[in-house]
Amino acid sequence: MLLQVREIYEYREMLKNLVAKELRARYKGSVLGFFWTFFNPLFMIIIYSIVFSFVMKAQIENYTMFLFVALLPWNYLASSVLQGLVSIVQNGPLVKKIYFPREVLPLSIVMTNLINYLLSLLILLPALIIFKIPLTFALFAFPLILVVETLFVAALVLLLSVANVYFRDLEHITGIIITAWFFLTPIFYPASIIPLKLKAFFYLNPITPIIESFRNIFFYGTWPEWNSLGLLALVSSILLFLSLAVFKHFQKAVAEEI
Amino acid sequence: MNRNGINAVEISDVWKKFNIYQNRTRSIKERLIFWGRQHVEEFWALKNINLLVPTGKTIGLIGRNGSGKSTLLKLVSRILYPSRGQIFVKGRVSTLLELGAGFHPDFTGRENIFLNGSILGFSRREINLRLNDIIEFAELGDFIDNPVRNYSSGMYMRLGFSVAVHVKPDILLIDEVLAVGDLAFQEKCLVRIRDLQKQGKTIIFVTHSPAQVRELCDLAVWLDHGEIRSFGAAEQVVADYTAFLGGAIY
Repeated sequence: MLLQVREIYEYREMLKNLVAKELRARYKGSVLGFFWTFFNPLFMIIIYSIVFSFVMKAQIENYTMFLFVALLPWNYLASSVLQGLVSIVQNGPLVKKIYFPREVLPLSIVMTNLINYLLSLLILLPALIIFKIPLTFALFAFPLILVVETLFVAALVLLLSVANVYFRDLEHITGIIITAWFFLTPIFYPASIIPLKLKAFFYLNPITPIIESFRNIFFYGTWPEWNSLGLLALVSSILLFLSLAVFKHFQKAVAEEI
Repeated sequence: MNRNGINAVEISDVWKKFNIYQNRTRSIKERLIFWGRQHVEEFWALKNINLLVPTGKTIGLIGRNGSGKSTLLKLVSRILYPSRGQIFVKGRVSTLLELGAGFHPDFTGRENIFLNGSILGFSRREINLRLNDIIEFAELGDFIDNPVRNYSSGMYMRLGFSVAVHVKPDILLIDEVLAVGDLAFQEKCLVRIRDLQKQGKTIIFVTHSPAQVRELCDLAVWLDHGEIRSFGAAEQVVADYTAFLGGAIY
């Protein structure tokens, strides 16, 4: 395990280059280029504002921002999973020709989406001010929540990327699961409207405390619920260890199976 | 077996099996339905391979198509893992299985040097130190700042070769890629390989050219149907092999 992590660290230059490649290649050839990173969330805000203020009037005050602060970390998870899942299979030619720690491929996808999420904060924070939502000291909890989410996302993506080499229909199943997962997470509705009977079930969903925490610090200006976040940090760390071990075992036949 | 640094690569009792599926199932559904009933043929690509590659020597792998040469190279580079047996490798390995693997077509030659170098496990600093040599060796001139999708196949491969031989590996694995570019460039590649030999690098290299083995290698291995048929001084092994080929053809 220690050797495995050290080797990944030794290939940090590759990790960095792959992330840079992803970030640049995504917008290469487009006129606005890298600015798309900012335009995407900006257009999202504008469209939501129009729809939820004029078309479907939401009962929650400042619904656009209520949704937006939860949607960004959700997108970080969903994009990482969907892109990371295929990362090894898509790089088949490379995997068959050159040795490198295979973990680098899924991890580079997680890092790319992490950076995208951080960049979208440059839109989120001014938007919060414009919508007159007070920024509080609770924002200092942000790095901590982000670390917990990243641990969880990395564990999930590592596991799925290597599993997809053996079971190709994971690609299709995962798309469906992600959609269902989105609706089962309090993203576009508050956790408070979940019926009491179902509440326990909803809190089995590991992403719920993360989304709730982000909404607390950005939207309500309150601290996260430390208990559930702490528990999730523990669970995610264990999951990450397991994922690394499973990955290490199954990556050996990856070049043959692709 | 000694592990005191005399040998760069130690291969002991290595076997490699490939499963050949008649109908490859990739979906969960099919795996459940055909559980245990799938027709699998086993193919032993390598059988009972024992080989010590002394540090600083150049060793040539020869043999007919399908004899297991490339499989052996992939095992040493850890792209594949042995089904049985063990392989010890001492030092940093750079593999030349396909030139320019990992290039991004939209990036310039210069950007690809950094990308490719890092995939081979080298730091930005190490690559920076050799950047000029790499560019000069590849003979790309001003093209170095053009996207590689505009390169001719020769330019593409020259750049790939140049990166791999300049990043200073301890062990270099080369798979039939020396037939790159025009004759002048091939000659340059050979000169570069001799340089690496002088620096004490270990080189394992697969080729179909007996002349190249005689010229470049200290030792040679003749693989036949996944087994070592002959191992020893390059001159002798090549002589055995060509005699065998002569007999096989006529």
